[in-house]
Amino acid sequence: MKNRMLIVLLVVLLAVTPLLGACQQSALKPEQPEKAETPEKPAEPEKPQKEKVELTMGSWRADDVAQMNNLIAAYKAVAPDVNITFQPTNPPDYNATLRLQLDSDTGPDLMYARSYATGQELFNAGFFADCTDIPGLMDNFTASNLAPWQMPDGKMFAVPFAAVSHAVYYNKDIFAAQGLSVPATWDEFIEVCQTLKDNGITPLANGVADEWDILECFFLGMLPNYVGGADQRVLYEKGDKKLNDENFVNAYTDIAEVAPFLPDGFEAVTYNDSQVLFNTQAAAMFMDGSWTLGVYADADFDWGVFAIPARSAADTAVTFHPDMAITMNTKTAHPEEAKAFLAWLCTKEGATTASENLPVGFFPMINFEIQLEDVHANEFLALNLGKQTDARFVWPALMDLYSPMNQAVIGVLKGTMTPQQAADSVAALLP
Amino acid sequence: MQSSAKKTRLHLGANSLNPKGLYWIWFMIPALAFYVVFMAYPMLESLRLSFFTGNYGNRVFVGFSNFIKLFSDSDHSERFFNAFKNTAIFFAVHMLVQNVLGIVFAVLLTNTHMRGRKIYQTIIFVPTTFAVLVTGYLWKLLLSPVWSKPFLTGMGLGALAKPWLGMESTALLFVSLVSCWQWIGIPTMMFVAALRNISEDIYEAAYIDGATGWQVFWGIKLPLLKPIIGMITILTFVNNFNAFDIVFAMENVNGAPGYSTDLIGTLFYRLGIAGQHPIGIPDPGMGAAVSTLIFIMLAIVSILILRRTETKG
Repeated sequence: MKNRMLIVLLVVLLAVTPLLGACQQSALKPEQPEKAETPEKPAEPEKPQKEKVELTMGSWRADDVAQMNNLIAAYKAVAPDVNITFQPTNPPDYNATLRLQLDSDTGPDLMYARSYATGQELFNAGFFADCTDIPGLMDNFTASNLAPWQMPDGKMFAVPFAAVSHAVYYNKDIFAAQGLSVPATWDEFIEVCQTLKDNGITPLANGVADEWDILECFFLGMLPNYVGGADQRVLYEKGDKKLNDENFVNAYTDIAEVAPFLPDGFEAVTYNDSQVLFNTQAAAMFMDGSWTLGVYADADFDWGVFAIPARSAADTAVTFHPDMAITMNTKTAHPEEAKAFLAWLCTKEGATTASENLPVGFFPMINFEIQLEDVHANEFLALNLGKQTDARFVWPALMDLYSPMNQAVIGVLKGTMTPQQAADSVAALLP
Repeated sequence: MQSSAKKTRLHLGANSLNPKGLYWIWFMIPALAFYVVFMAYPMLESLRLSFFTGNYGNRVFVGFSNFIKLFSDSDHSERFFNAFKNTAIFFAVHMLVQNVLGIVFAVLLTNTHMRGRKIYQTIIFVPTTFAVLVTGYLWKLLLSPVWSKPFLTGMGLGALAKPWLGMESTALLFVSLVSCWQWIGIPTMMFVAALRNISEDIYEAAYIDGATGWQVFWGIKLPLLKPIIGMITILTFVNNFNAFDIVFAMENVNGAPGYSTDLIGTLFYRLGIAGQHPIGIPDPGMGAAVSTLIFIMLAIVSILILRRTETKG
């Protein structure tokens, strides 16, 4: 009997071990061959004079390999002995992967840095280098463009690289066929939606299945229209204004108004579905980020963008969000070379080259005048003119409200919450 | 010195004439070493990790506070119990659909009068060989009204084009059913193997005594399948409480919509490995606490199931 129990116990242990093992196994992930091959070692001892330096760059922009390789090739003209290898990760997995790489000392030499809290945490953990003294960094960017990658004490942990914007993509062909023009106010926007729907066209391609896009692209994209720019946002962060005030209730009310104009079964429409719906002209408009500009480059219809309009009494504002910055690993074997690359990004020459090779829909943040080539990208950037701009509302200081606000927005769209309840549910989480 | 060396030789030496010797230890060492390094050590390391907080570099010992937080802190406990409930439902659907159908299919497939058994057997087993991400993605498209509506309307079934994966009330059920669809081949094959092992003589004796097919099933097949049912229950239980991939493929790591498909696996991933989007700062200690609790629960329940379904030797 005793023996039998022992065997039973052993079997059970064997059966359940994989669960606990999972925690550790994943820690081994970065040591998969592709990541572990930082092929710098062999050349070093033989040629001490003209050594080739190999650097790796981590990123969440898996779509941008071609563009980044162009940028890296351009940098070769500046530093012929430095070879940078771009190693992007699937976007949703970037934070987790980078974290595991850094924890196990297999992190890249250079890497994209997330803004605000996520980046600050990695700086505090000692993974991101202090970039404050990189030449040109403090001079060539405005304070608001530095802020997302700045510690409370003013230290910089990355070099700002690119920002993204948010707007409504619209199908000009459908608009022309229906005799519609770009709406200037929210009411006109709803009228446009109604006309399209009456004529059997799905007005908006957005869905809520993936959750993040309805909040980041749609709700946070339109929020500055209701709460105002950065100066107003700060009041909410300090608690001077409440997250269930009239402005917020209005914003939830308006987004709830959009529900009937989303595709049938929008509850199960994913971000990819939305893109396909817009791209196949099954939907006339899509509230999305500038980063997908390139997706519609080959569309066989004429399209444009407009800023999501404010209520008639308010000014239309734009969510122009600081998105990418590049930093270096404190544990890199080649700190000088990595630093030189970052410094190059802070020069006019470097920033121009970088902007030329930025993927369409990402906008430079440096102070120099930089001309973009893509028509649609310029159209997107022109939406900022004469308007207030701000980062996405929750990013700078209220990141803990991201998930609750996401659920609140989905709640009002599905009709399970009233706008007031939605606003209250988020406001209740702040002291 | 010499005598002690001799003594060791006597015990461990490759003396095939001495069956009581411990020479078999040498055969076990490679596997044992592998097990210790890759299974036992990480497991114990996770147990240890559950008493810490913070990430690499600034990890702090906090005793049982992760566990206390998991049960008392309203944010954590709500998510944990919700994930636990969802996982239990996920498991219940697998037991009811996957394993019951598994027995039914196995009985049909071992029926010698049925034609085309091999074909059915292959059809039932094929989904098992697909990658979960592939099945998850395909079913996600099939179940999306955006893509299935024209097709279903054409068949006069337009009413079925609902956002099944987008409604809190149906999402978990559909995710569970897709998982059942994929894995049903495993229990079916195991039951088929077990049924084939039952001696024909017993059936013959039963039929001579006038037993009906139904009586044979309840009186002979099911009791003799009991140990296999126990094993399959444990396998289903362990796999379901560790499930993550199917939700990852069909919904997202938050268990959309509205946490209704959030399993312990996805909760563990968010807490311990990826961190909550978009901040993405994981708390490995908290993740380890979740996995430790699940480990204890799996161990206890598995022993209970084994003891109940074991045939007395």
